[in-house]
Amino acid sequence: MTVAAAIPPEGPSPEASSDQAAVLARYDELGELLAGMDDRPPADPELWGPASAALLHEARLLDAGRFEDWLCGWTDDAVLWVPLSSPAHPGTDQSLLLDDRRRLAERVEWRRDPSAWGQQPPSRTVRIVGGVEAWPAPGGLVTRSTLLIDEHRHGRRQQLAGCQIHELVGDGLRRRTKILVVPALGTGVRNPSFLL
Amino acid sequence: MPADFDPPTIDFEQLVQPHRVHRRLYTDPQIFGLEMTRVFAASWCYVGHESEIPEPGDYRTTTLGLRPVLMTRGRDGGINVLLNRCAHRGTVVAGEERGCAKRFVCPYHGWTYSPDGRLVAIPFPADHPAQDYSTLSLGRLEAASYRGFVFATLNADPEPLDCWLGEAREALDTIIDRHPGGEIAVMGSPQLLEFAGNWKLSWDNAADGLHATFAHHSYNTLGETVDVETVLARDPGSTPMVSKALRNGHMVVDQRPGIPQGPWATMRDVPFREPLESTLADAGAAELLDLATGSMLNLSLFPNLIFVGNQLLVVEPVAVDRTRLQLWLTSAPGAPPEIDLLRLRVDEDFVNFGTPDDLDMFERVQRGLSIPEMEWIDMSRGLPDDSTADGSVYGPITSEAPQRRYLAHYAELMTTPAKTRAL
Repeated sequence: MTVAAAIPPEGPSPEASSDQAAVLARYDELGELLAGMDDRPPADPELWGPASAALLHEARLLDAGRFEDWLCGWTDDAVLWVPLSSPAHPGTDQSLLLDDRRRLAERVEWRRDPSAWGQQPPSRTVRIVGGVEAWPAPGGLVTRSTLLIDEHRHGRRQQLAGCQIHELVGDGLRRRTKILVVPALGTGVRNPSFLL
Repeated sequence: MPADFDPPTIDFEQLVQPHRVHRRLYTDPQIFGLEMTRVFAASWCYVGHESEIPEPGDYRTTTLGLRPVLMTRGRDGGINVLLNRCAHRGTVVAGEERGCAKRFVCPYHGWTYSPDGRLVAIPFPADHPAQDYSTLSLGRLEAASYRGFVFATLNADPEPLDCWLGEAREALDTIIDRHPGGEIAVMGSPQLLEFAGNWKLSWDNAADGLHATFAHHSYNTLGETVDVETVLARDPGSTPMVSKALRNGHMVVDQRPGIPQGPWATMRDVPFREPLESTLADAGAAELLDLATGSMLNLSLFPNLIFVGNQLLVVEPVAVDRTRLQLWLTSAPGAPPEIDLLRLRVDEDFVNFGTPDDLDMFERVQRGLSIPEMEWIDMSRGLPDDSTADGSVYGPITSEAPQRRYLAHYAELMTTPAKTRAL
C-alpha cells in the first residue's frame, strides 16, 4: 500500500484528539513562556532568594556530575527544551533537544555509559549563573537567569553563554520546565552533549 | 582562466591507492585549498531546497567551497544561485541567513541588485563610467533542481544534473516518494555542529556500516533498556543490508532488507510518542508511522549532501581541520500533522545519543592523523571490488568499497581539474 492510499479519505484526525491536544497545549505553553519573557514586568525581589538558591543548586549538581541527584529535582511532567533560536515553537521548529522525564532519565544513564564516546571522557564544566529574576506563577515561580558555561574536554575548551528559563513548582521548587537558549547554537558549536 | 592558480604538483594517484590513502588528504592545508575548487566548485553541490524560498524575493545564504553563496527566488518564480559578493569592492551583499528582499542593496556603497543578480542601480551614476550594467551583475552559478532539491556548480562544462545523479536518482526518488503526494519540505533552522576535523571524515563515515557496532554501542545499549532493537544494533556481519558505491562518489546504504518489520519498530520511546501514536491509530492511519522515522536508505551525494533519518546533513568544510555539519529536518506536508510532530522528537534522538559519538570519532581520527610517521589509512576491507558495468560496486555494509570508490572519484577530480567560472 502506498503512503497516500493509507490516509483515510476523511483525513486522519479532523478534530485533534485529546491526546494530541495535550501535547500541543504543552508545546504552546513552552513557546509562549519563551516568547513572553522579554515583556515581563520587573521581577519580584522577594522571590530572588529562593529562586537563586534553586538555580545555583542545580548548577552545582551539574558541574559536579551528580546527574542522578539532578534528575530527582524534576517533576513527572517535566520538560527540558533547548531550542535552536528564539522565538521558537517545539511543534514547528527543530530543537537541539526536548526531553520529557523519560528521556531525561535515559540521558543520565547515557552519561554513565563508559562507551558513550561523546561524553567519555566527560566534559568538565563550570556554570556561572547570573541576572536571576523571578515572578510568581501558579504552583510556584518562573525565573529567568543568564548562564555562562565553561566546558573543557579532550584538552579543548569552549564557552557558551545563554539564558535559562525555569518553572519551579511546589514546596521543593522542583523543575517542571527548563528552557535553555544558547545563541551560539545558531552558528555552530562543537559536540554540545554537555548542555543540560 | 584555470581552475586554480596552483600547478598540479601533488600526485593524487600516489596518495589515493586502491587499498589505502595517505594522511595528507586530511591534514594538508594546500590540498584543502585545492579541494575547494577542484571538488566543491567543480561538482554539483546542494545549496538548498525550493520549499525554503517559496515567494519571489525569498533568499537563503550558504557556502559552496568556502564561497559565500545566495539562493534566491526571482520575480519570475525562478531559482537563482548567486555569488554573494558585490561587483564593486567585493562586499558580501546579503548578511542575513535568510529573508525576503525586493532588492539587494550593498551596505558599503549602495550598489543595488535584483533577486536574479542583475545590477539595477549605482548611486550617483553620473560619476561612474559604466554604461552597460550587465557586466557588473552578481556572479552566477549554473543551477538546477531535482524535484525541489537545488544544486549549483561553477564547473564551466558541467554534466547535466540528472546524469550526474545517475543511479543515485533511484534512491532519491524513493526518499521523496515515500512522502504523500511526493511532497517533502525543509524546516527553517538547522542544527549546526562543528568538529575539529577534515570534512572527508564525515564522508568516510556516511556509508560505514561497521562503525555503528562500536562507535554507537551506547545508543544500541540505550535501545536495549527499553526492549527495542535499534537499527544499528544488528550484527553488521550477517545483516542482509546492502551498501552501494555509485558513480561520481555517490553512496547508498540500504538498511531496509535488514528490518522487514518496518522502520517504526526500531524507534525508541521518544518524548510524546504515545499520545501522537494513539491519535494516528484512532484515525486508522497507524501505517503512516513509518514516515515519522527515516527511510532507512542513507543516500550520500558527493561532495556535500547526506540523507540520514529525516534529515539532510550538509557537509560544510571550514578549514583543513574544521568542518561544520548542517542538519536540516525535512517535513511531510501531505501527511497528517502527527507525523511532523513525531519527526521533531525522533530526529533529536540520534542527534543527542548517536551523533556525539561520531563527532568524537572524527576528532580522535584527526588527532591521530597528525602523526607524520604513520602515513597510511587502511581502506582494504571487502577487496577485491566486484564492479558492475557502470562502475558501481554492491556489497555487504561492512565493505569499505563506498569509501574506496568516492576517494577514487575524488582523486580524479583532484588530478584533472575542471575549468571553473562564474556566469
